[in-house]
Amino acid sequence: MNNLREFNWPVVFIWMALSMIGLVAIYSATLGPVSEFLPSHIQINFYKQIIAIVLSLIILIGIQFISPRNFVQLSYVLYALGLILMVLTLFFGTEVNGAKSWIRIGPANLQTSEIMKIATILATANYLTSRRDISAENIRYAIIAVLLILIPTVLVILQNDTGTALIFLSLIPVMLFWSGLPYGVSLFIISPAIIIYMTVIQWYLGLIAAFILSASIFFIQRRVWLTVTSFITGILSIAGVQLALTKILQKHQIARIAAFTDPSYDPMGAGWNVIQAKTALGSGGFYGKGFMQGTQTQLKFLPAQWTDFVICVVGEEFGFIGTTLIIFLFLFLFMRLLKMASNHKHPFAQLVTVSITTVFFIHFIINVGSASAMLPVIGLPLPFISYGGSAFLANTLMLSICLNMDFYKREFSIYR
Amino acid sequence: MIQNRNNRTKTSIRTLQVMMAGLSLIILGRIFYLQIIEYDTYAALGEKNSVRQEYVDPARGLIYDRNGILIVDNEPIYTLTITPASFKKDNIPLLASLLEVQDSVITAKVKEAQEYSWNRTSRLFTEIDFETFSRVQENIWRLPGIGHQIESKRHYPTEMNASHIFGYLREANQEEYAKSNEILLGDKIGKSGLELIYESELRGDLGVKYLTVNALGQTLRAFEGEKMDQSPTRGDDIITTIDADLQILAEKLMKGKKGGLVAMNPKTGGILAMVSSPQYDLSRLAGRLDKDYWQKINADSTTPLYNRAISNRQPPGSTFKPLMGIIGLHMGYITPQTTIYNSGAYIRGRPYKDTAPVGTYDLEKAITFSSNTYFFSLMDDIATQGKLNEWSKLVKDFGLGVPNSIDLPYANSGIVPDSSYMNRAFGKNKWGIGDLLSFGIGQGLVSASPLQLAQMTSTIANGGYKISPHVVQAVRKADGSLERIQHQKPKIKWVKDDYLEEVKKGMRGVVVEGSGRFYVKNPTVSVAGKTGTAQNPHGRDHGWFTSFAPFDDPQIVVTVLIENGGYGSQSASPVAALIIEKYLTGEINRQRVYDYVINFKSRPTDSELLDE
Repeated sequence: MNNLREFNWPVVFIWMALSMIGLVAIYSATLGPVSEFLPSHIQINFYKQIIAIVLSLIILIGIQFISPRNFVQLSYVLYALGLILMVLTLFFGTEVNGAKSWIRIGPANLQTSEIMKIATILATANYLTSRRDISAENIRYAIIAVLLILIPTVLVILQNDTGTALIFLSLIPVMLFWSGLPYGVSLFIISPAIIIYMTVIQWYLGLIAAFILSASIFFIQRRVWLTVTSFITGILSIAGVQLALTKILQKHQIARIAAFTDPSYDPMGAGWNVIQAKTALGSGGFYGKGFMQGTQTQLKFLPAQWTDFVICVVGEEFGFIGTTLIIFLFLFLFMRLLKMASNHKHPFAQLVTVSITTVFFIHFIINVGSASAMLPVIGLPLPFISYGGSAFLANTLMLSICLNMDFYKREFSIYR
Repeated sequence: MIQNRNNRTKTSIRTLQVMMAGLSLIILGRIFYLQIIEYDTYAALGEKNSVRQEYVDPARGLIYDRNGILIVDNEPIYTLTITPASFKKDNIPLLASLLEVQDSVITAKVKEAQEYSWNRTSRLFTEIDFETFSRVQENIWRLPGIGHQIESKRHYPTEMNASHIFGYLREANQEEYAKSNEILLGDKIGKSGLELIYESELRGDLGVKYLTVNALGQTLRAFEGEKMDQSPTRGDDIITTIDADLQILAEKLMKGKKGGLVAMNPKTGGILAMVSSPQYDLSRLAGRLDKDYWQKINADSTTPLYNRAISNRQPPGSTFKPLMGIIGLHMGYITPQTTIYNSGAYIRGRPYKDTAPVGTYDLEKAITFSSNTYFFSLMDDIATQGKLNEWSKLVKDFGLGVPNSIDLPYANSGIVPDSSYMNRAFGKNKWGIGDLLSFGIGQGLVSASPLQLAQMTSTIANGGYKISPHVVQAVRKADGSLERIQHQKPKIKWVKDDYLEEVKKGMRGVVVEGSGRFYVKNPTVSVAGKTGTAQNPHGRDHGWFTSFAPFDDPQIVVTVLIENGGYGSQSASPVAALIIEKYLTGEINRQRVYDYVINFKSRPTDSELLDE
């Protein structure tokens, strides 16, 4: 056992702080005056979250007694087991809110994609760092790595869980980038996402983004064919989005996508969530309305206020102070984790830590972005704050792995 | 190679750090924008979301008679409401048995409410009687989801109907709703009578209640503990000049007849009783609209909604003769001593009939026996001297042919022709003296409402003062203060007491020895009056009687018009006589006359009886 002083206590503190903020918010959102209008199975969410936190704490501590080498060794096994679980879920799973992502284990429901997330990160990282000569610069290795990520992504999409699929997809550029994919190509991979987002807001913003990104790719890589390809891809993305918004998609589907830019498009339908979320945040002001005093929260105007819109509960009842605290805790967490990654000598540890950080970050951006109407409502929980046992356990497990590899970084610094 | 890799790692970490910090700060900026910069917008939006403003109707003002008897008040309407989300279907039989209806009725109503809204409250049964309402209230603890609402409607506690005085209320239409910020859609407002004219006094001020509601639209509790609520201010009460007993009698006497009655205090102009017959049943228009009844009275050929006492105009006939006398004396064409011989007709190009006994008439006698010749001759003088316009002006001084200031809607101005009127009616210079002679006996183009003749008679009775007819004498504010309504009562300068004395003597003669002697003459009450018959080209003539009493110190003026009643002496005068008797003695001693009046009916033609 190493010196406990070397343990990364600040990260544990952030974990603790976020989960406590989460508990307060969940309490207010489910057991405040609003409980009158909530079914009893929602009212016990607070207690279920406490159990998840206690279990997670045990895991967090327990993991620290394992050598980080075990993660490397177990990665493929875990990946295979995860895939089997995912397939089983497809057949025997329970459907919640339209997504068939849960499988019943004893008294609890387990969201298998959360476990798969960890397995995929470990396995892909293991593959990309198993040999010195493996690099994403080589297209063959890159394709295998992408396949390792795409297989579970397809399963998640089959489970009808778009949000989680996005998380898996976001792993592709990050992991390939880390494994030597040229900067320009990495930028090329993520550029369609940026262009599509801009196009949904205003088509000419998409065009501007396409120009800037292609120019950046040219300056970074100095390869004409890549620049041209990227620009053509950009134009195709813009055209595709425009076509989808005007011709292909139904009105209600467009409303779901466009609601964040113009909630009045469908104020009682897709726009409702956006309007109520913005109202909750905005009416909180600087100091907030006080614990269990938020009218948007307590009068049930907010949708899914214990999960996807939990930040609005904090924003309404604790104001800008509350939301800023959360944002800075996350920012602090990301910086700490990236610092850990940079300290690692072992590429596996680096890649796993960076990937996990990315997963947290994407969750954070999409959740808060959705709640503040910067992004379409995608339905991802806010790590450590939103209610959800599987997600909390999986997130803590990921954090514990980072902490473990950091704690044992000296013993884990050389290739096996 | 390793060095290269380390460099790349450093750059990559740096890139990720910048990216994550940058995007996090953008998110923070967005949150700052929403929570700090746009705070006012969203705070208002949040409040609007969760606070519902409800208006509380004020109690409508009450109406009293001149002796303080309550004649119009408010009555609660009990309505049962339902909130489908909290209502249990198992309770349908219980509710049905309490309301004494079939289960299926309740099932249908509940379904209807569910279709409106699962969570909002809607009306289940409205206008249920108090007994049923209490029965449900006793069992309310067994009926979650069932609530109640108490609204109010007009109630008329006395026997009087007075539909044309009080008027009815109806839901405000879109236009009225748009014009006023006090009226809400669905509110009832006065549409006729005092309810219309005194709408702003009777209405009161709306109260406001702020309620906290949730996203489902359920009302939860008072917002901010009722601190911001404003209670409604009740409407002002109005105190009328109506005499309840007299009004009730007048309505009874006018039943079965078509026409109008006005009883007035000649000294003040205060209306003591006013009837337009046929009436409509106000209480049937008080609650939620009784559509069938509303359609029936609108389609009725006897037009019960029409106020015959003030909106109708008919030639005044011989009741106009006393005024002619006063004008003649003033203009100098006659003196009290002037006599004119009646040969049975007045000859002016052609004979104009006179049914008064053949003989010599002075003014007093001409009024008493209603000699036409006397007044044809007088009108002939006026017309020949080209004094039509002066005559017209003098008649108008008595309130005929000009708008009436009474505080009831749709008062008719009547017609008193002058030369420009004649030019319009006949064409310029296409009329002559022959067209004017009939004015002298109140026929032809001259027309007036019963109210106007009552006003004219009051001026004769009160010594030449032009009173303003009115129904309301005072308004009692919500704080209890009494505000008397001041009415002007100018003396008509050219009217001399001697003129009045002369025609009053003639009018007294009508009752003592003229056409009024059959029904009006009464040893205990000294009545003076004038009968009249308005020629009606469409059917039986209309009977008039206008009168005042006691002769020495007039306390009451009564004018009655019975349409299709034939002679005024037979149709209108007995009604007026009974009203006067009741008012001055407190009772009716002449049962014979009472029975006669009760059994008297208007006959549009000789064969037809007016429908009840």
